[in-house]
Amino acid sequence: MSELGTWLHVKAAGRDLLLSTLDLREVVAPSPVAPLPGRPRGIQGVVIHQGEFLPVLDWKNLPGCKEPSTSTAALAVLRPRLGIPLERMMGMVDVLPEGWRETEVDDPAWPWAGAAGLIGGVPVALLDAERLIRLLRRFRSER
Amino acid sequence: MDSSFDDVWAECEDLFAQARQTLATLKEPQPAHVVQTSVNALFRATHTLKGMAGMLGFPSFSRAAHRMEDIFDLMRKGRLRSTDSLTETLEAGILALESGLEGLRRGRPEPDDYLQSLRRELGELEALARPAQGGAHDLSSLLDLPSETLKALSDYERTRVTAVLMHGTPIYGVTICLDFATFDERLRAISEAMGARGELISTLPWDVPEDREGLAFLLISACTDPTPGELSALEGEILGTTLLADPARVPASLRDEAPAATPAPEPKQEAEEPAPVAASAPEVEILRLPVHRVEALEARLMGVGQLRDTASRLMRQAQATDVEKPLALMGEIEEGLLEVQKSLLQMRMVKVETLFARIEPMVKSLSRDLGKPVKLTFVGGDLELERSLLGRLSEPFLHLIRNALDHGLEPPSERLAQGKNETGSLRISASQQGRNLRFDLRDDGRGFDLARIEARGLELGLIKEGQPQAPEKLLRLSLEPGFSTQERASQISGRGVGMDVVRSEVEGLGGEIHLSSEPRRGSLVRLTLPLSRAVVSCLKVRCDSQVFGIPLGSVHRVQAGRQVLRGGDQVEVLGMSLPLESLQACLGLPEPDMQRAFVVLTQQGGAAASVEIALGVDEVVGRGEVLMRSLPELARSPGIMGGSPQEEGILWVLDPEAVMGLAMDSLMRRVARV
Repeated sequence: MSELGTWLHVKAAGRDLLLSTLDLREVVAPSPVAPLPGRPRGIQGVVIHQGEFLPVLDWKNLPGCKEPSTSTAALAVLRPRLGIPLERMMGMVDVLPEGWRETEVDDPAWPWAGAAGLIGGVPVALLDAERLIRLLRRFRSER
Repeated sequence: MDSSFDDVWAECEDLFAQARQTLATLKEPQPAHVVQTSVNALFRATHTLKGMAGMLGFPSFSRAAHRMEDIFDLMRKGRLRSTDSLTETLEAGILALESGLEGLRRGRPEPDDYLQSLRRELGELEALARPAQGGAHDLSSLLDLPSETLKALSDYERTRVTAVLMHGTPIYGVTICLDFATFDERLRAISEAMGARGELISTLPWDVPEDREGLAFLLISACTDPTPGELSALEGEILGTTLLADPARVPASLRDEAPAATPAPEPKQEAEEPAPVAASAPEVEILRLPVHRVEALEARLMGVGQLRDTASRLMRQAQATDVEKPLALMGEIEEGLLEVQKSLLQMRMVKVETLFARIEPMVKSLSRDLGKPVKLTFVGGDLELERSLLGRLSEPFLHLIRNALDHGLEPPSERLAQGKNETGSLRISASQQGRNLRFDLRDDGRGFDLARIEARGLELGLIKEGQPQAPEKLLRLSLEPGFSTQERASQISGRGVGMDVVRSEVEGLGGEIHLSSEPRRGSLVRLTLPLSRAVVSCLKVRCDSQVFGIPLGSVHRVQAGRQVLRGGDQVEVLGMSLPLESLQACLGLPEPDMQRAFVVLTQQGGAAASVEIALGVDEVVGRGEVLMRSLPELARSPGIMGGSPQEEGILWVLDPEAVMGLAMDSLMRRVARV
């Protein structure tokens, strides 16, 4: 994983998270999510984004996450076309190369968080887009 | 690849499309001047491709295009005659260049020789066109023109004069005088009219008579009768017409050589019924747009549609007394929007026959090279596929066809010994299955050799010794990277890369590949590819507050309001008892206590037998056309084919085949619970 770059520090699913700007297409205002009958686990439904359906992540189906306590303030659109509901955006941060640590395998968030960056001395999980997509695909195949 | 070259790639694509169309023209009998116009167009196209490849930094491609250009040059100079086999070779050459270009576009390295597989044929053509000892003849001196004028003729024009005279066509000169203000437009019109009557060999400046003002030209044309009055010329524009050269003056010894090196003879019916040809069809201006611009327009239209839906909903909620007319207008806007969306969708689509037209020359060329006669059948050419798929499917099809002809079909002697027809059969059919386009490639050859596949699978460690393998699993092994049962790679196939390429390309398009085979009876390769959007005629039904669309093609009957129904019931339809399952149960939604309507879904079975099931819904809303968008991979849900934003929210379009499967599963669970 590259340790260089800029990170978006957000609050989602009741916890602090880092999103790599390299994984982000854009952050947009939230719109009502259309429920999808028989939706796969990890997807709460779709919104229309740039004329196409955009699947929206369902945090509560992800290990190590709980149902968001507040309403969605923004939607981060990842490059692999997935919408991530955010409760709050704290701002852009830089993490020093020595400020990273790998996520422990026994951490419930391990299937989607590749590492944690130290922000003000506190480890904040980094959402790993590739791992997350793999996890969602696994959910689909397990159905 | 640098996006600044997008226009260059796009122009190359256009040139290939034109070249294919022009070559298709040459397959039919055409008047000599049409053949000449077509060959000239092909010469120009390959010349431009050569230049563009040089600009993009692909020297090997440029060399190959140059070689093709040379062949067209030999044809236009009358040193190669347009025949079926020549046209097939040229088609194969154009196809090889086109598929090479597609590879380059995707960042593949340049091969040394794009025309490797045609080396023998092209060499023979070049040898055939080589002038006999003593060099090529020049009969331009037979033209009744001043020597200074003769000197103005180019080499190409001299070879054309020679070729048409040897062919027995007279050459006329038409002198015209045109007004300064409009000469370019008028010259073009008169030249086109002359080109339509014969071959316009040259246009030369001419002396303006003393009593006239303007610009004068001499048009040198090979035709049987120039008839100046019919040349769309205005009064006074034509100064005169003279016979410049009579083919009777060509020495008899040269006339004898003509059949080997002249253009195709003019068909007898030419004067009465000129064949329709692309070369003389009116030019259509092509507007090329980057896909993202069309997508942005589609997104904007979708936004406008959502605004309309919101306005319509607000009007209904306002409960005003005079909303009927505005609502009717909203309905008209909705219809208009759908029409525009359909038109935009149409821009993305091409007929499947376009793909078939690319495949046909591949098959003919391979069939000839391998000495295996093949009866090729296409079905479903009228269906449409997305233009973006077209380029990406050519290579997979090339691999599949190579495999079918090289490994699948037996040589004629072997077929005869097996009691089969000497000519093999290859059937390529396209059909639309829900949101998917399905291609079946079926041959009547020897089928896949499962024993050899198993042996190779063991050798590569893909399967373990002693474990029985299902035929389906063994067949899928042949799609693994580097898998080939051929001990030695032939020039046609067997390098172990083909099927892997097919699989990765098809899966990259979100599709699937399925193989099946019967020993000595043949094999079937089925490619299933999703369409990103489609206009679907639907029956709209409601369950709770959600509206669904069922494609009308699968709806056999609709019945509503007679009785209260529940999932698991049996219903009587036209004297038949059918199982009923609620749509909610199929999709995993909360099941209602009762339902008042059902839709009989039908699915055509393989041997004309059909399967029917009754699907319980809360209400049948009506029918209509919707523009359906596919769901992205991460959101794909069983039974849902796609969705369409509507006034009441997203209408989910059901996949009837999948819903029937879900209904059967649900009914089985009910039985198991009892």
